[in-house]
Amino acid sequence: MHPPRLVRIAAPLLIGALVLSACGSKKESGGSSGNKTLTIGVVAPLSGDLSAVGNGIKNSVDLAIKQANEKKTVKGYTLTMDAQDDTAKADVGATVAAKLVASSGVVGVVGPLNSSVAKSVAPVMAQADLVEISPSNSNVDLTGRGALVTGGTQVRPYKSYFRVVASDDIQGPFAAQFAVKTVMAKTIAIVHDKKAYGQGLAEAFAKEATKDGATVLKTETINPGDKDFSATITKLKAQKPDFLFYGGEYPEASLLTKQLKSAGLKIPLMGGDGVQSDEYTKIAGAAAEGDYATALGAPTDSLASAKQFVTDYAAAKYADPIGPYGAYAYDAANVIIAALAKSTASGSKSGQALRDDVTKAVQDANYDGITGKITFDQFGDTTVKVLTVYQVKSGKFVAAKTDTFK
Amino acid sequence: MTSQTIPEARVRSAPDLGVLLTGAGALLLVGSALLPWAGYAGFPGKMTLSGYPGGARLYVLLLALPALALLRPLPGRAAALRAAANVELAVVALTVYFVAYAGGGFVNVGGGVYPAMIGAILYLVGSRRLPTSEAVAEGVALPDASWRFPVESLVVAGTAGLALWLFVIGLGMPSSSIASGSDLTLGPLSINDVANSGQFLAYVITIAGVALVAGRLGLLKSLTIMTGRHPKLFVAAGFIAAAAFPFTQNGSGESLSIAARIGVFAAAAVGLNIVVGLAGLLDLGYIAFFGVGAYFGALVSGSVTSVTGVHLPFALTIVLGGLVSGIFGLLLGAPTLRLRGDYLAIVTLGFGEIFRITVNNLDGSAGPSLTNGPNGVSNIPDLALGSFNFGANHTLFGIDLSFQSNYYWLELLLLAFVMTSFLRLSESRIGRAWVAIREDELAAAATGINTTRLKLLAFALGATLAGAAGTVNAHVVKVAAPDSFTFIESATLLAAIILGGMGTVPGALLGATVLYLLPEKLRFLHDLRLLVFGIALVLIMRFRPEGLVASKRRAREFHDHETDPAAEAVA
Amino acid sequence: MDVFFQQLVNAIVLGATYGLVALGYTMVYGIVQLINFAHGEIYMLGGFGALTTYLALPSGTPAGISLPLMLVGGIAVSVTAAVIMERFAYRPLRSAPRLAPLITAIGVSVFLQELVRNFYPHARSARNFPQLVNPDYQIRLGSNVQISAPQLLTVTVALVGMVTLSTFVRRSRTGRAMQATAQDPDTARLMGIDTDRIIVTAFVLGAALAALAGVSSGLQFGQVDFHMGFITGVKAFTAAVLGGIGNISGAVLGGFILGLVEVMATQYAPDPFSGGAWKDAWSFVVLIIVLVFRPTGLLGERVAARA
Repeated sequence: MHPPRLVRIAAPLLIGALVLSACGSKKESGGSSGNKTLTIGVVAPLSGDLSAVGNGIKNSVDLAIKQANEKKTVKGYTLTMDAQDDTAKADVGATVAAKLVASSGVVGVVGPLNSSVAKSVAPVMAQADLVEISPSNSNVDLTGRGALVTGGTQVRPYKSYFRVVASDDIQGPFAAQFAVKTVMAKTIAIVHDKKAYGQGLAEAFAKEATKDGATVLKTETINPGDKDFSATITKLKAQKPDFLFYGGEYPEASLLTKQLKSAGLKIPLMGGDGVQSDEYTKIAGAAAEGDYATALGAPTDSLASAKQFVTDYAAAKYADPIGPYGAYAYDAANVIIAALAKSTASGSKSGQALRDDVTKAVQDANYDGITGKITFDQFGDTTVKVLTVYQVKSGKFVAAKTDTFK
Repeated sequence: MTSQTIPEARVRSAPDLGVLLTGAGALLLVGSALLPWAGYAGFPGKMTLSGYPGGARLYVLLLALPALALLRPLPGRAAALRAAANVELAVVALTVYFVAYAGGGFVNVGGGVYPAMIGAILYLVGSRRLPTSEAVAEGVALPDASWRFPVESLVVAGTAGLALWLFVIGLGMPSSSIASGSDLTLGPLSINDVANSGQFLAYVITIAGVALVAGRLGLLKSLTIMTGRHPKLFVAAGFIAAAAFPFTQNGSGESLSIAARIGVFAAAAVGLNIVVGLAGLLDLGYIAFFGVGAYFGALVSGSVTSVTGVHLPFALTIVLGGLVSGIFGLLLGAPTLRLRGDYLAIVTLGFGEIFRITVNNLDGSAGPSLTNGPNGVSNIPDLALGSFNFGANHTLFGIDLSFQSNYYWLELLLLAFVMTSFLRLSESRIGRAWVAIREDELAAAATGINTTRLKLLAFALGATLAGAAGTVNAHVVKVAAPDSFTFIESATLLAAIILGGMGTVPGALLGATVLYLLPEKLRFLHDLRLLVFGIALVLIMRFRPEGLVASKRRAREFHDHETDPAAEAVA
Repeated sequence: MDVFFQQLVNAIVLGATYGLVALGYTMVYGIVQLINFAHGEIYMLGGFGALTTYLALPSGTPAGISLPLMLVGGIAVSVTAAVIMERFAYRPLRSAPRLAPLITAIGVSVFLQELVRNFYPHARSARNFPQLVNPDYQIRLGSNVQISAPQLLTVTVALVGMVTLSTFVRRSRTGRAMQATAQDPDTARLMGIDTDRIIVTAFVLGAALAALAGVSSGLQFGQVDFHMGFITGVKAFTAAVLGGIGNISGAVLGGFILGLVEVMATQYAPDPFSGGAWKDAWSFVVLIIVLVFRPTGLLGERVAARA
């Protein structure tokens, strides 16, 4: 502690501050046009392993908000985004949920990415009747569908929770029917990453594939984060499968398909919406050729709005790729924005009244999104049962079959 | 310490000028705090209002207050005021810079900025002209009189209140930011983030400054003497202050949610402190015991996703959760405790991972059905105590309380219990035996201490406390899932007690607060959040390797070479 | 039997990387008793250093030239990072409480990951790594047993690295000084050994080997990402302890045993405890059993009486 030295540091700091800030123009006070501000929250992992996927969600919401502001979709209001990092952990999720609930300007939330985080976020949101739309959760318990599997009655656990993706018990069987009936797979190997999404999807797939008459090998598991899957592949190879279903996300799926084919096991890999990403084909390269992935809704490449989204996203120069859930996040944000436009149009509301109204408006939503038409049932699940199987052709996912799940 | 740099003659010839300048500077600063600092709306702290010292102006005000010491020639006065002036200048400069930057130029600052800058410079120059005396500030010892007790109690309780108040300011600071809608972005940071970071930086500097000034005036020493005389009062006042926290929140649950999380992890950290801090057993898998409690709590909570379908009363759940976890501690400890040091560390790391992998697999397909695997046990119902539902918002004394306050109080109780256990244990025969084992296991064994049994006991007791904390946390978070019990969580808990200071309760509390609050308060940095957090960890260890609140003995070990009396006073 | 031998090959490839990274842990630990948790990030930086070198080279550079240059680039980045880390994060803590550097290590680890994630172009998701060695080129070792070219490269690089290191430590003057410092730093200092220099040397050697592992991992899997160091780091640390931390042969042995356990548990562990979901649990079970019977690891001798 030598005060003179501190003076020597502090004085230039003060002068420097003045010099640096001296240039500039007088700011107009009072804001632009008397517009009030409403905020859409985002809860997703923005740091760590899953940050690329989480940031894809965040950026897509950001894009939706910017476009809505340009088009003045919600008249008299400027929309902003408040993105919170849940670090893919349930307890952090509860904290950021409380933070968003406490911020009175927040009238809707997109997220979270992980089902386990959703289970701590949704109760807090439901308590405040703050609408929450997940672009990626597929776990059956989140909307009470778990009871259906075991033969009980479905009860909605979280009154303000919605999702725009299919739950595992729809996407998995749809993929299985395609694998068995269209690809004519006989001996199917199943691998998943032992995470909620991957396992749920793989188990639903296995059940349906067995029912449809295929031989399903004993399920193998890999660890998310691992890169060397040779032991699992060797084990599978000895059992001579002709098809592989992978429950999980694209980072591991792309490595798996590469190593599969290098090891001489040249069978197609199929995944869910967690695999249906341009990143998958980018990383796996030629090895991905002929692989399949399913996703909810009509083919995105046939809708002009979907193409426009991809173009706009690229033009915005975000640091992260769209990822598998960007399009769903974009739709989720737009559903909230449409609900806001509807709720605010009928007189000036704010606070809890507005949140209640927005939740109601989302429940009644009927929105033409880039992933198809979006409506919700009384449990918060999307009513869309149209799914598409994509196949990799010349390094791109192209629609192979679109059908309604029965 | 400064006498060699300031010419003696000048100091002696112009004592009155120093007092005058310092006083004038302080008055200007106080005045400036009541004037608007920003010429535009939107900067945190209502900087456009006059007559209201909001935002960073509060810190300016706070740091001008030590000038009251000019009224009496207290020992250490000059040193304290020099410190105050340094920090004041930094806070003023920082705030002016950020206000101007976020406003788009210096032309957008408010009228209060000018007196503040002049005041800060006068304050600085004046404080350097104050006569210095060789006398080092001693703690103020009050005479033994009938009024001593009430005065000291008041001071002790007031300190607890002040600490809470500072904490509230810190927690309440805007940390989330609104990113979209404005095109003004600086790389990954928006203007709003810049404003928030300036505000937070000023806050941290001010707290450090206040501690420094208090140390130089001998106030910290007096406080130590007084709290030492009334330890129970201090703890009680602290807890009452903490319990009053929800009433300051206007029905919002944001800060409470963070505070509750800090509380539960602080409780776990205190438990870990028994194992690492007292008994010296390096445990890198401690979160597993927390997890055992959490899963136990979730499984008997009556949740629809629990395979047991059992619903036990919560009080029983906590006790049983702790016990089950303690039994796990015994089972794991028995074969491994003869390992030493880092070998024990990796074995505990291994057990932690085995626990996580196992609960991830016990779902009926990769193992027996118990935990729902990666989905975890979710939809844990809210607690209810008679007709009092923990999941509902309440109103008490006309103040709105969010439902998070119920859980906050529950965790405060848990924390109180864990702290009491720790203090009782550490002062008992057992506690002294643990410390003996930590210092030298062979010597301890030679004095007749049954080291194996005592190490096992430390392991089991630590596990029990973690288990109890885990059962509570499962009800707060409403889900027990494997993702929450990774190695990183164990490392963070360990970091909390090392950072705070090993073997002390305040250390564990402070460490947990820093480690769980810092990432929350750094949210305005968005993508750079963890980057800055990593640097902060490195820096804290670099400058206080013995932890923020070290036991006296450890502090002396590592700061002996520093002869600066002020540094010692703060330490 | 083919399956068994194929799995054995898989185990050796996996173990080679673990062993190579474990050497860095064990050397630093042997000399300063520091668990350098940030070592996994040094491995990651090696991969990114090599990638940067590749991108800096004109496209079309033959693999025979670019590959060695990439190795040099990777090693340069890792070594630089390790030296800076030692100098500014660890050295000031030499006399600090034993656990303080552990927190520093965690801080450094978080910092390095986030640094790459935020500031390396397009590193937020995995970056493709040039596949200079064709993974589809399989060398047959038996009727149904094969090893791919990049796998073979990984094993070769690891073996060369290990042999070079052990020769260096046993034969060279610096190597003997390292051994002396590891045994008794105070006496070593009295004998005129510049222990600061020796400690830096340990960090440098460890970083160079980690970089080798990072580059060969990039070549083998065709990608590098910012969090690749975490899991490999924890596994390598486990390997080092399994073999007896501080012991160079032990780290190599530990690496191979760990690889073997993981691969064989995937294939042969009894149901339902087989497969990737349980393999890491098996690794730790083996580790714990070994340590219960040999409390200082397989080849460890010295009892570290610190806690």
